[in-house]
Amino acid sequence: MVPLSWYMLLSIIVFAIGVFGFLARRNVIIMFMSIELMLNAVNINLIALSHYLQDMRGQILAFFVIAVAAAEAAIGLAIIIALFRNKATAHVDEIKEMQG
Amino acid sequence: MIQQLFFIYFAFAITGLSLLVVTRKNPVHSVLWMLLLFFHIASLYLFLNAEFMAAIQVIVYAGGILVLFLFVVLLMNIREELRIGKYIGAGPTGFTFAAALLVVVFMSLRSFVAAPPGIYSIDLIKKETHTMVLGKLMYTEFLYPFEITSLILLVAIIGAIVLAKRRLKT
Amino acid sequence: MPGTYIPSEYLPVLIFIIIATAFGFGALIIGTVFRLKKPYYEKLLPYESGIDPKGEPRTRFAVRFYIIAMLFVVFDVEAIFIYPWAIVFDKIGIFAFIEMVLFIVILLVGYIYAWKKEAFQWD
Repeated sequence: MVPLSWYMLLSIIVFAIGVFGFLARRNVIIMFMSIELMLNAVNINLIALSHYLQDMRGQILAFFVIAVAAAEAAIGLAIIIALFRNKATAHVDEIKEMQG
Repeated sequence: MIQQLFFIYFAFAITGLSLLVVTRKNPVHSVLWMLLLFFHIASLYLFLNAEFMAAIQVIVYAGGILVLFLFVVLLMNIREELRIGKYIGAGPTGFTFAAALLVVVFMSLRSFVAAPPGIYSIDLIKKETHTMVLGKLMYTEFLYPFEITSLILLVAIIGAIVLAKRRLKT
Repeated sequence: MPGTYIPSEYLPVLIFIIIATAFGFGALIIGTVFRLKKPYYEKLLPYESGIDPKGEPRTRFAVRFYIIAMLFVVFDVEAIFIYPWAIVFDKIGIFAFIEMVLFIVILLVGYIYAWKKEAFQWD
């Protein structure tokens, strides 16, 4: 049988890859995809715990995470489009008006 | 035994695909690897006896969000993207932070103690079907979160239109 | 026993995926082995009805495509919430009906907002 800790380890690894992508990449869209990666890592963890603890509430929470992820994707990509219109760039290091 | 073989395949595939997603230079390739990644994660959900979650993983992520990502990727200049470096100057710091997070959470994993198991056993879910069990819980116990979700989606609609739409000509 | 579950009813899907992948890659590999390879400049050009291609092939979409795609994602999630509701509707009864009406009315406000802001206008 597969122990629960394997699933949790997989979730941690995917989450760390997502954190790395968010902090290191230059492209805004890849950063957003890293956020989706982190949300998916959390979902793997929630559903694995829900299965092993035999409680459906974890899957309900994962359901809401997916709904919030969709809302976040819509808003985030709208922000990217507004950014394209005003600055014509998708690189985070070229957006520095707010720097002191 | 066969479960372990399947899990090992999915674990290595998911890890490798997520590494490909964050390290590809061409954003279109990233999006396409991510499509494969979402299908692998959905198959992993099947092994956790969560077939409705697998279905919405495919419908919402692969069918909705990724198409949106692909649309926005086509907005930008791929040729300039291939020319310029893919990591910002703080990239090594980000790598160190992610590795430190991995180590810290991995260390804390050993102190995890599982709660006593609940009533939703595999036999019960098999008897009642997964969607039925999920729906019964969602529309009785999780009524308020469900209604609040509709407000979140409303905010998403209004926010997307306000941010993306040009000002109406007056 | 958790951790030993195998979704055996999805075995046909697995077989289907294996056959489909093998067929796709097999066709490509057999094609690469047997076909002639004599590329020259005109053959590698994109086909534009015999005229020489000019300009960038990639043009920017109008923003209204993106707004439609974003609204699609949001209403996709709304539809996802309706599936389990349709399954349990006759178990919970009129109460479930009222809460779903409330859910849809709240999202209808957003829909009317999008309509009034001319997000669906095409010209």
